[in-house]
Amino acid sequence: MDELMQILEELRPDVDFENETSLIDNSILDSFDIVALVGELNDAFDIEIKPNNLIPENFNSAKAMMAMIEQLQDE
Amino acid sequence: MSYTSFNFILFVLATVLIYFLFPLKKYRWTILLVANIVFYSLAGYKYSVFILFTSISSYLIALWIEKISASSKALLKSKKAEWNRDQKKAYKEKTKIKKRWVMALALILNFGILAFLKYYNFFSGSLNDLLGAFKIDFSLPTLKLFLPLGISFYTFQCMGYVVDVYREKTQAQKNPFKFLMFASFFPQIIQGPISIYDQLAHQLYEPHDFDFARFKHGCELILWGFVKKIVIADRAVIAINSVTANYSSYNGTTLTFTILLYSLQLYADFSGGIDISRGVAQIFGIDLMENFKRPYFSKSISEYWRRWHISLGVWMKNYIFYPIATSNLFLTASKNIKKSKFGKTAAGSHIAKVLPTSIASLIVFLVVGIWHGASWKYVAFGVWNGGIIMLGILLQPIFDIIIDKLHINRENIIFHIFQMARTFIIVLVGYIFDVAPSFSQGMRTIILFFTNQNLKTGWSEISTLGLGKKEYLLLLLFTILIFIVSLIQEKHELRGENIRQILDRKSFFVRWAVIFIGVMTVIVFGVYGSGYNAADFVYMQF
Repeated sequence: MDELMQILEELRPDVDFENETSLIDNSILDSFDIVALVGELNDAFDIEIKPNNLIPENFNSAKAMMAMIEQLQDE
Repeated sequence: MSYTSFNFILFVLATVLIYFLFPLKKYRWTILLVANIVFYSLAGYKYSVFILFTSISSYLIALWIEKISASSKALLKSKKAEWNRDQKKAYKEKTKIKKRWVMALALILNFGILAFLKYYNFFSGSLNDLLGAFKIDFSLPTLKLFLPLGISFYTFQCMGYVVDVYREKTQAQKNPFKFLMFASFFPQIIQGPISIYDQLAHQLYEPHDFDFARFKHGCELILWGFVKKIVIADRAVIAINSVTANYSSYNGTTLTFTILLYSLQLYADFSGGIDISRGVAQIFGIDLMENFKRPYFSKSISEYWRRWHISLGVWMKNYIFYPIATSNLFLTASKNIKKSKFGKTAAGSHIAKVLPTSIASLIVFLVVGIWHGASWKYVAFGVWNGGIIMLGILLQPIFDIIIDKLHINRENIIFHIFQMARTFIIVLVGYIFDVAPSFSQGMRTIILFFTNQNLKTGWSEISTLGLGKKEYLLLLLFTILIFIVSLIQEKHELRGENIRQILDRKSFFVRWAVIFIGVMTVIVFGVYGSGYNAADFVYMQF
């Protein structure tokens, strides 16, 4: 989780990732952020995020992202 | 049947009556299906073959894809103990490839029809020009092709559904009639919004009871749509058509005015039409997605495209932008730059980070441009919009430095207004290629903008475009009205409230006065038929 938080904070220092739970629904992250994030997460966690993972539920909060990462690591 | 015709109002009323009086609630959706078929057939029954083909092929292919996924999962489950990790992985890969081939079939079939009907003549014409330039004696014939009603919209909608099934985001629809219902929903078939299956389909099939509040809100939205479409857009288009009929004979001032007028006409026409679509759907208890959110208030061109034709933007994002930007090719390229010597510099690291996004944006806008029409001027429209977005992403750090150096407060309202004005001008330049009859005429317009401004000649030309002083004044007043309405919408959106809800809280007198004025505005100021005075309409209809 720490590694994820570090990536997120580097990407958007202006966002409170600890507490925000509607990153996508409230348009805090846009599609450009998501693409940048996909590259970073793929490398950092050795996973392959596919377009079908790119749904709001997977990116609305840091916790949701972590859950998606763990699920992809299991596959 | 146009959404603004008297026949359409009658058609909707009849469908509403039959739908809500139909006793077998569970089967109320079949009334809408019949309405879709009638509506589509009235537009020309020969068109129906195409929408039927796309619906049936999407329906069958989605089922096929789902079957491959299901049988693969079942086999993996049964071999869970037997197979090792590598065997499982290899089998999963095999399934993926199989699914991809079926998906490719759907793409070729459905986009194939769209591409052929829409682009064959553009392609053959360009090829013939090219061959002619090399003096090669061969030419492809020009075909008399027609575009079936709403082909882009139902094709996009069906393909989105097939991809969603492919991605296992949604389950395939088993009932072919229910699927046809989704593909052909009459309020949105002409111009969208392009709906996502998961958001729309269940609403179509659920039985809805009559709800007066929904009926009222739906009618109010339709009324506002009528005001925008037939009072504003259909009036502005008279002058625009006069200019485009004889485009090269007008001066820079007139052309500048025309482009401005076009920004009003296009917004009023498209968003008005969508209001009618959403209003009609709302009466049936169905919420269609919003397609416009005050796009001209955008502070950047990428924001503009998130607020203009939203459903197309969402479609492009889900099915083109994300797959390209997150493809191995792009991510690896970005990684390689990052690792290189150049990637260690500030500029290099930034470029590595934004490369996938910026190139994918450009590709998306090329597609959007070409989707608008088969002509080089639309390619220019796409390159212009995509190019600006691409440059915006790439040059962001430089803009940041300039803003900091100039000590500009980003939250300052004047800076926001500057950003909105800048974005609007960029949008207008894109519109030039929409209005101008060809790419070269578009370029000429840009030159004339700088070299051929003359207010006096301009005004004398503008007054010959089919609209009198009073008409222009009327357009100006309605532009101010749209502006005020937009400001109110903007203010109340944060509270999740729309103008109709605000109106609900007003007194009985105010509510009915607004509706009465709206109806009278449409009757008195609406532009009807070939002439454009209300007398024609009143005479024809009564």
